[in-house]
Amino acid sequence: MGLSLQILLPFFGGLAVLFAPRFGRDMERWGTVAVMALTLVVLLYSVVNGDSGRWLAFTRIDWAPSFGIQVLLAMDGLSAAMLAISAGLGIVCVFVSWHVTHRSAMYHAVICWTIATANGVFLSFDLLVFAFFWELMIVPAFLLIGLWGHGQRESAAMKFLVFNAVAGLGLLAAVFWMGATAPEITFDAFVLAESDYATWVQVLLLLGFALAFMVKLPVPPFHAWLPDAHTQAPTAGSILLAGLLLKTGAYGLFRFPPLLFPDGLMALAPYGMALGAFGVLYGAILACGQFDAKRLIAYTSISHMSIVLMGVCGGVHFALAGAGVEMVAHAFSSSALFLLIGALQQRTGTRDLRDLGGLQKTAPAFATSFAVFFAAALAMPGTANFLGEALVITGMFQVNWAFAAIALLSLIVSVLYATRLIGAIVFGKPKAATATFEDLKPHELWPIIALGAGTLFFGLFPQTLVGWLRPAVDAALLPLGVGAP
Amino acid sequence: MLAYFLLLVPLPPLGGFLLLALDPYRLERRAVMAVALAAGIAPLVLFLPVALGYFAGSIGDTIAPAFTLNFGQFEVALAMQLDALSAIAALTVTVVASCVMIYAADYMASARVADLRRFFALMNLFLAGMLSVVMAADSIVFFLGWELMGLCSFFLISYNMNSPRAFAAGRKAFVMTRIADAALLAGLLLLFLEATSVRIADLIPAGLAAPEQRAVVIAVLLLVGALGKSAQLPFQTWLPTAMAGPTPVSALLHSATMVAAGAILLIRFAPLIEAHPGVAAATAIAGVATAVFGALCAVAQTDIKRLLAYSSISQIGFMLLAVGMGAPGVAMAHFVVHALFKSLLFMSAGVLSHASGGTTEIRRLRGSAYAAPISFATYVVGAAALAGFPILSAGWWSKEAVLGAAVMAGPFGQFLWLVALGSAALTGVYAYRPVWSALRSPVEPLPAIKENWLAVGPLIFLATASVLGSFLVGPIVRTMGGTVPHAGLGVEVMGALAAIAGLIGSVVVSFSPVWSARIKRARRLRAGMQMDAIYYAFLVRPYRRVVHKLSGRNARKDTSHEAETDRTDGGMGDPVGTATVNLGLWLARVVTAPFVPDRFDLVTMRSTREVRRAGVWARRLQTGRLRTYVMAIAFGLGVLVILGWGMTWG
Amino acid sequence: MTPLNILLVLSAGLFFAGLFGVAARRTILMQLISLEIMLSGPALGFVAVGAYHGSVEGTGMFLMVLGLAAAEVALGLAIYLHMRRATGGDSDLAHRLRG
Repeated sequence: MGLSLQILLPFFGGLAVLFAPRFGRDMERWGTVAVMALTLVVLLYSVVNGDSGRWLAFTRIDWAPSFGIQVLLAMDGLSAAMLAISAGLGIVCVFVSWHVTHRSAMYHAVICWTIATANGVFLSFDLLVFAFFWELMIVPAFLLIGLWGHGQRESAAMKFLVFNAVAGLGLLAAVFWMGATAPEITFDAFVLAESDYATWVQVLLLLGFALAFMVKLPVPPFHAWLPDAHTQAPTAGSILLAGLLLKTGAYGLFRFPPLLFPDGLMALAPYGMALGAFGVLYGAILACGQFDAKRLIAYTSISHMSIVLMGVCGGVHFALAGAGVEMVAHAFSSSALFLLIGALQQRTGTRDLRDLGGLQKTAPAFATSFAVFFAAALAMPGTANFLGEALVITGMFQVNWAFAAIALLSLIVSVLYATRLIGAIVFGKPKAATATFEDLKPHELWPIIALGAGTLFFGLFPQTLVGWLRPAVDAALLPLGVGAP
Repeated sequence: MLAYFLLLVPLPPLGGFLLLALDPYRLERRAVMAVALAAGIAPLVLFLPVALGYFAGSIGDTIAPAFTLNFGQFEVALAMQLDALSAIAALTVTVVASCVMIYAADYMASARVADLRRFFALMNLFLAGMLSVVMAADSIVFFLGWELMGLCSFFLISYNMNSPRAFAAGRKAFVMTRIADAALLAGLLLLFLEATSVRIADLIPAGLAAPEQRAVVIAVLLLVGALGKSAQLPFQTWLPTAMAGPTPVSALLHSATMVAAGAILLIRFAPLIEAHPGVAAATAIAGVATAVFGALCAVAQTDIKRLLAYSSISQIGFMLLAVGMGAPGVAMAHFVVHALFKSLLFMSAGVLSHASGGTTEIRRLRGSAYAAPISFATYVVGAAALAGFPILSAGWWSKEAVLGAAVMAGPFGQFLWLVALGSAALTGVYAYRPVWSALRSPVEPLPAIKENWLAVGPLIFLATASVLGSFLVGPIVRTMGGTVPHAGLGVEVMGALAAIAGLIGSVVVSFSPVWSARIKRARRLRAGMQMDAIYYAFLVRPYRRVVHKLSGRNARKDTSHEAETDRTDGGMGDPVGTATVNLGLWLARVVTAPFVPDRFDLVTMRSTREVRRAGVWARRLQTGRLRTYVMAIAFGLGVLVILGWGMTWG
Repeated sequence: MTPLNILLVLSAGLFFAGLFGVAARRTILMQLISLEIMLSGPALGFVAVGAYHGSVEGTGMFLMVLGLAAAEVALGLAIYLHMRRATGGDSDLAHRLRG
């Protein structure tokens, strides 16, 4: 019950929020916060009362038995972390969007629905239902970008839609094929995991799945939708996009290939790692050349998520643990950065690095917050981001030193783009746009503090997070590296 | 019990950092100073009894575990330790840091409260990082502190927010040290994989037991990490430009502690270096080469801070030489002595420059000796220590130990000894130059400045230590488990002669017009043999070109304002991404192109035309005239009749 | 050729003459007159066949036709008067039902 509530609560909550303005001013905002808080409470309850063993919670409801479709929801540490992040980011989004008044009820409803569909992705283990939620996820995000975004929002939203919808076709095709050709038609992932496909079949199916996940991650060359989507999306849209939607791609890669296509994954793993390595460098190099702050952070997201790809394809314990930690860490740090840049744009009207500067003087709280997440973007030890990257690098050393070397390069290049960002925003003399800059207000500061505390906590006391992710990691191991535990 | 006390030592600066950075209580100027000084001096207060107890032998080697993680067979056990290295180094660091903090309280007194808070927060965080590095018992805490120092260094060098030059200097320092940090991380991770543990006590045997090739790679990676952090060749270009930061920053970070952290790294992992003669030789060569290079460049400098920066590079080269020659204890001794006199030199130079009206040019320091006599006196003591004034200064004793270690290490060592001797002589040449300059009478007499006790107290203390430290060198080496190398009287006399030669050389260089002109012309040397420019041309500019090429020439156009046109072709850069988009668009075009003139629709429309024409033709029957209709009826009747008649046939 | 045949031919000829007249004449009045001639054709035919068979129904039909013709003429002339106002007597001008 608790698991289906994770999906149903935000969905119906979103519907309820549509009617909330009748009850008072700002009621749709508080309503959304309440819905998200309630979801979080239900999640905590499920976690605390969870079973020990592979799954913390497991739900199975038959839906269309003759077609082998059921609502099969399962949660372990990884999904629980992702669900917590989704609800938490939902609350952050509300506080960040306090200034949005145009069709505000619909806006908050769309936020709720984004979270509901993402939760569906994180929980489903019936492949058809998973694909359903996967495709459905695109719709609220499309609305968010296209209706409440900035100047070029329609084209950015269309680009997002086309990329992700086309990529989802691969997933759908693979899912349908698998379900239909099973001895007894079923879409239950665990049952399908037992079926013994030939390796080349596994490779093909994996490519179908992987196409959808890699476009969502995003990994070059499929990343072109992300910079535009981020720059044109409203702040809450960017936060949900970076903190949540990208993680669904990572989550999909983490879960399904090792479960369904282990041989195929073994065959394709080196290419996956190579693609990830390319993505790490490409995203970082491009980030160094951007003048638009949000675009810069978008490219850094591409770089960081490519590290996750490397980790997942690495198959050894360290790499997978690092990928999981990086997923959580990046959700925190990129959400915080987008929050700050969003506040910046809202106050100054620009994201162009050449027009900004000197915020250390005019807005010290902003500057300090920025410095914290600057350190996180750099993967400074003490932040969860470093933990994730270091674990992935360790795993790469067990698999292939060349990939490890490239991942280490990312440490160096990250300094370049991070200093570019902070140098243009915090350092220097205040310019025309930033001369009068209202410092962060409490409703913006609290999310920052929470996110920063999370980043530092998981960076300094990693045993909580790593232990939490352990069952998921163990399920995804591949015999790839030397000396794997 | 003591173990947990160890864990407490880095906590006061950390707490100070949090208090000053987050500033929940909106502290006033005096409160800021108080918090900063308390946090900065507390580690000394906490650690002193521990260190003294250790040296007295009543406390043995201790490990203070923090917490433990498990990754299957891999165990990650974080801890701090108390052993010879950590005791000596931590004591040195806390002493020097306390002196610098007190000095900074006076030096930075004129800054805005917000900037003051920022400065002291960063200094305290740095101190916490450095203490983590020297007291770490495992590689994770070590690396944590290491990187933390790099971060604080960036922010402290670029402390002056209004100066793009300072920001660029900080950025350069950060990038270069990050390159070295990446190498260090690689080495530490490889060791971790070999040892399945992060404790340094486990890493070293595992590194020794590793297969030959791998062990060499690890040792080289660690060496590169040390070279970068300590600004040795080829990473040395960041330190001179880092002098753009305020004087206390230079005194603490870039002379005594952070740059020496590379030496600490090598001393800590010395067994791994010594196990491979090639790597040890490389270490020694790098050290000696840097020593000579730094000394030569220092001779040609006109700015006192840059002179001292090159001097730091040079002196750390000596430490690396000692490690390469298999005498880490000697390197440790030199580290301690260098920390004492170098921070002293920077701080007193700061006072002298303040007395000369804020300039750091050596030429313009004339007369400052009379304006700030106490600081000048301490500067002279520091310079003597740096130059290795025979017998009277601690610098001589530690340098002699280094030279002795080199001599005793075989023919190769003796060759290096000769080179190092030359560098020691050069050290004398440059060390006294500011002294002679300050002694000259100024163009206009300088007003005597008030030498605040806050500033001068630490100076006097450090000056005394630079002299009395002579007695510490032997004990330090012995505590580190080594023996003080006695290479024979001849070698020691050569060392003394080199120091005196340096003194004479400095007089010559400062007062002889020929030599002064030569130095003025040595632009190349002054610019550090323009390695900066070489790096820029071969590394930075090509990288920037790649970045611009990939980001698109039109990335320079305003993309955040709403005037942008969203083209999917080039101009927006990102060749890989736009390639995908263009591929998609091309595919869409190619697939839909045959269907664009809708043939079915054309057929339908054409057929309607025919139908219309038929209709037009059929309308001709509808004349509306009675007569036509009558004829039609008649015609039809006729047809029927004939039909009927025809049917009767059958 | 029996007398009946001759009479039937004559009646057919009258009918077609009248038909020709309706088709060929443009004036409405002349069309009406032709219509009368058309009527007289079958009327003659009825009489001839009645005489041939010696029954009285033929003559009865002839009387009905006569009455019919009279009624039709009455209405026809009334309509003709209206049409004359609209078209001036030219039947080709009454083409409002033209398609």
